[in-house]
Amino acid sequence: MLEVKNLVAGYGTIPVLREVSLTAKAGEILLIGGENGAGKSTLMRAIAGFNKPDSGEILLDGKAIGGQAPEKIAQSGLRLVLDGHRVFPELSVFDNLRMGAAARRGDRAGFNNAVEEIYSVFPILKEKQKLYARDLSGGQQQMLALGQAFIAQPKVLLCDEPSMGLAQALLPPILAFLRRWAQTGTAVVIVEQHLAVTAPYADRAMIIERGQVKFSCLASELDEKLNAPVAAE
Amino acid sequence: MLSEILIIVIRGIAIGSIFATIAMSFNIVHGATNIFNFAQGNMFILGGFAAYFLANQVGLGQWSLMLLLTGLGIAAVVAFQGYITLLPLRSSVEQDSWLISTVSVSVIVAALLMITQGPFAYSVQSVVPSFRILGTRTPGAYALAIAAMIFWFFALRFFLRKTFIGLAISALSQDFDAARAAGLPVRRLQLISFAISGLMVGTVGFLVAPVISVSPDAGLKYVLNGFVAAVVGGIGSNAGTLIGGPLVGVVAMLTAYKVGGAYQDLASLLVLVLILMFRPQGLFGRVGARRV
Amino acid sequence: MQTATSIQTGPVSMAETKPKGRFNSDLTQVWIGVALIAITGFGPVIAGNSYWIHTFQLVNIYIAAAIFQNMLFVDAGQKSFGQGAILGLAAYVAAILYGLHGWSFGGASMGGIVAAILGGLLFALPALRVQGFHLGFVTMSAAIVFPQLLVTLDKWTNGINGISVTVPALTNPVVFGMSPLAIAVAVFPMIALASHYLIRRSKLGRSMFVAALSPEAARSLGIKPGVMRFTAFVIASIGTGICGILYLPTVAFVSPQGFNIELSFVFFFAVVVGGRGQMLGPIIGIWIVYILPNILLAGFVEYRLLMYGCLTLLAVMAFPDGIVGSVERLRAKRKQTGGGEQAFRIDGFLADLQAGKTVREPSEEIAVEVRNGTKKFGEVVAVSAVDLKVRKGEVHGLIGANGSGKTSLLNVLSGLSRLNTGSFMINGVDATNMAADRIANMSLGRTFQAPRIFSQLSLWDNLKIGMDARVGPASADVTALAKAMEESFGQDSANLLSHGQRRLVEVMRTVLKEATIVLFDEPAAGLSQSERTNFANLVKFLSRQMGKTVILVEHDLDLVWGIADTITVLEQGRVVSSGKPDVVAKDPAVQHMFVGSRHA
Repeated sequence: MLEVKNLVAGYGTIPVLREVSLTAKAGEILLIGGENGAGKSTLMRAIAGFNKPDSGEILLDGKAIGGQAPEKIAQSGLRLVLDGHRVFPELSVFDNLRMGAAARRGDRAGFNNAVEEIYSVFPILKEKQKLYARDLSGGQQQMLALGQAFIAQPKVLLCDEPSMGLAQALLPPILAFLRRWAQTGTAVVIVEQHLAVTAPYADRAMIIERGQVKFSCLASELDEKLNAPVAAE
Repeated sequence: MLSEILIIVIRGIAIGSIFATIAMSFNIVHGATNIFNFAQGNMFILGGFAAYFLANQVGLGQWSLMLLLTGLGIAAVVAFQGYITLLPLRSSVEQDSWLISTVSVSVIVAALLMITQGPFAYSVQSVVPSFRILGTRTPGAYALAIAAMIFWFFALRFFLRKTFIGLAISALSQDFDAARAAGLPVRRLQLISFAISGLMVGTVGFLVAPVISVSPDAGLKYVLNGFVAAVVGGIGSNAGTLIGGPLVGVVAMLTAYKVGGAYQDLASLLVLVLILMFRPQGLFGRVGARRV
Repeated sequence: MQTATSIQTGPVSMAETKPKGRFNSDLTQVWIGVALIAITGFGPVIAGNSYWIHTFQLVNIYIAAAIFQNMLFVDAGQKSFGQGAILGLAAYVAAILYGLHGWSFGGASMGGIVAAILGGLLFALPALRVQGFHLGFVTMSAAIVFPQLLVTLDKWTNGINGISVTVPALTNPVVFGMSPLAIAVAVFPMIALASHYLIRRSKLGRSMFVAALSPEAARSLGIKPGVMRFTAFVIASIGTGICGILYLPTVAFVSPQGFNIELSFVFFFAVVVGGRGQMLGPIIGIWIVYILPNILLAGFVEYRLLMYGCLTLLAVMAFPDGIVGSVERLRAKRKQTGGGEQAFRIDGFLADLQAGKTVREPSEEIAVEVRNGTKKFGEVVAVSAVDLKVRKGEVHGLIGANGSGKTSLLNVLSGLSRLNTGSFMINGVDATNMAADRIANMSLGRTFQAPRIFSQLSLWDNLKIGMDARVGPASADVTALAKAMEESFGQDSANLLSHGQRRLVEVMRTVLKEATIVLFDEPAAGLSQSERTNFANLVKFLSRQMGKTVILVEHDLDLVWGIADTITVLEQGRVVSSGKPDVVAKDPAVQHMFVGSRHA
């Protein structure tokens, strides 16, 4: 489980997040939406250790992880899949998956099972397992990035804009995979622009605006809350 | 006439293969840390010194053992150097401290060599006898130099593509943030890359001790030429060093034969300036490969 | 007449009750430096010890060289490991002309300095293409090659034997037992220090500094980074060359061994150990790195290289600011200058600016126009066949998702990037192929996503570089504004300012520049709600009260809709909608950008 309390963070002297709090429970998917520039990516990066928080707490299963290096946080069980389907371009698909095991102290059998599972969900990866990752399409790279994270079997998964650069049709299978993943007991957080497509797969939702939480609600209520008439100024 | 050209080419390639190995050692550290270890030249000379002290006029068995120990010893030294170089970079804003610290370490090593041994060049007896190629007498160490370059090229290739740690080090140079997000132990991998670079230059220095001037101020010449070889081939490309190194070596030899030995470094400097002005990414360099 | 809507939160503060310290201790350091140089320059003469006289003369020469190294390294950002070669070049050329060819010492000196300048230019050429380690390497290689050439070109240089030289006119005592040389050697480092100080406080110094820290910001202020680098190398070469000229009669002998790479390292290490960028740094640096091992521990001369190395390594690891720098840091902490996070109060100033002016509406003249502009990065099309018309005096919003091309377009407009096809005009002039600094000189100003505020400059200096960038005579208003700001913020630090305040400083910089067209790159990022409101008011002020044309690349759609006269929407490099805000808001092609309902 992930708890974030009153997080204040940004880049250098630029404050972006102002007192953001959230919880992500095991087995649930939390959807975070908001306009461009609202601070969603910054939030993900701050939680994962890429930005040092100015104040506030980040707790992973009760243990404070704020201020730790990203690789340490990943090894503790919180995995961020960066936006832009980033994989290691000059490693093969299989080797990319292998790298995922760094955050998981290795049982060989467990690794092989995880790989088989990824291959069954995304058969194209199995087909291309010997190709260099740079030769994959954007969508396939996104699948690979998710697969790499899956290998690590994290307790908390943060997914930053999985749909970016992808054809619309590719999103539902990825979301379905994330849904099943959550059901095995992982806490999943998805940052997304395409709220309408993503909300049905999520349990709870949250909107960030200008670095602050505008509101949070059940995913099923998101649509009506967003389209409620704006209160008069 | 032809034999003169052949001598130049053969010696050029031989000496160039040393530069290539040094360049490859630059590449592995630079890929993992964005640092150029200026002290590589003197670490290479240290390897040569070890040959002088540990393996001068000894049997093959002991020579081989000393070769291994030297390699490991210098690997340890360079790993330690890497540790202290990376230390200030952990949190500080001053991102060029590595430039100053690697230069200071280079100066320190040279000074220590000078103090303990004096400024005179030493000669080391070769374990591999000289042989004749096409009518010219060629020191055996040259063959070792070329063999070392080829060995290290393939060894690195295997390491960086097949072993987990090697893949991880390679991943660091491809996408640093993604590597961190994946939980790769960045600091440890960086230290390992330093250690490997030390292993490389230590063993090569040991092997070619008979033909290099094993003196405390020779280190600069090797770091210079090693760097030029790396730039010509393209920083980050080991295949590039296979061409860059011999190229720089041949230019050096050509200069030595046609103009004079004292102009070799000037020739290397000119090659460097030309390449930086007109094709700074070198032959095979990635232009802006790192996604940060 | 109503005063401008408040641009800032919080009450306007009364005069600071705490006495302000100076922003930096540069001047104090200069005086201390002069005193120390006087000690090493005149002290030995007064003591009458010829050994010390001789040794410390060389020390003073090295101090002067280190001062120029400091300026080159920090003020201009150029990593040169070859200044020892420049010194040697001047000394040798002078020695050859005077000692071997019978020139007068004056003529030989001129020759030496010309040689030094040429050497510096040789360093400057690669500096145009590469920086950082690469440049350091080139200069280092030159420093390695230099003594080798001295040996091999022995037909001209006398090779390893060196050249002996005496200049009696200079070395015979003239007044108070001091020779002209002794006086020159004592005084020149003082001149060097004073020059460094004066350059730093001049427009040239500021421009070099900005070019070193942020070439982009420099371009947007009309500064050419390449020219700055060249100038820095030339100045350093002249200074270091004079050191070489003084070296000659001091040591009375030049040889290749005297000018090896070690000399260049000494200068560099002295700067680092003393405190890079600090006025006093090179002096303290030479005292520690050179005097200590060479004079006080003379018995251990072989150890001096070891000492240089260890001292520098220690310095870079434990005291990255160097000795003087660490002291300066403590001083600055204790005497915190400036009013803290919200120190940049400008409401009053803006009210003065606005006094008596009529509100101007956007005219129909076109200030900026893009015709069919396309920008590609390799295969990726960032901007695709874009047409854009920005009217004079209007606020024009450019919106779109990440990757939509809006920042690329902004970079094209400011000249940091070139269109592949199409054209664009500024005030009717074709600017398609203009360099960024030329465009800046057409009275364009811009701000950057991360505000380019330089912590080493005072708050006022950060603003002043805007004034430096002004083309043409200053208007009376802005001159008065500048004067008032200088009085208020002259000694303040910019370090403590909050992000929103830094953003303000950047904007006011363009005001002082008298830019008539201002480009904002995601200015609201990181601003709080109230800061955004104030920013919006400021933009309206710039447009309506000062008649400036504002182009605003922004994510905050509420902000944009609140102040824009025209909005252009980009998606994947193309314009999908453009026009008045209420029209664009209803455009179906734009709807997906809004999260939730949007009031037009």
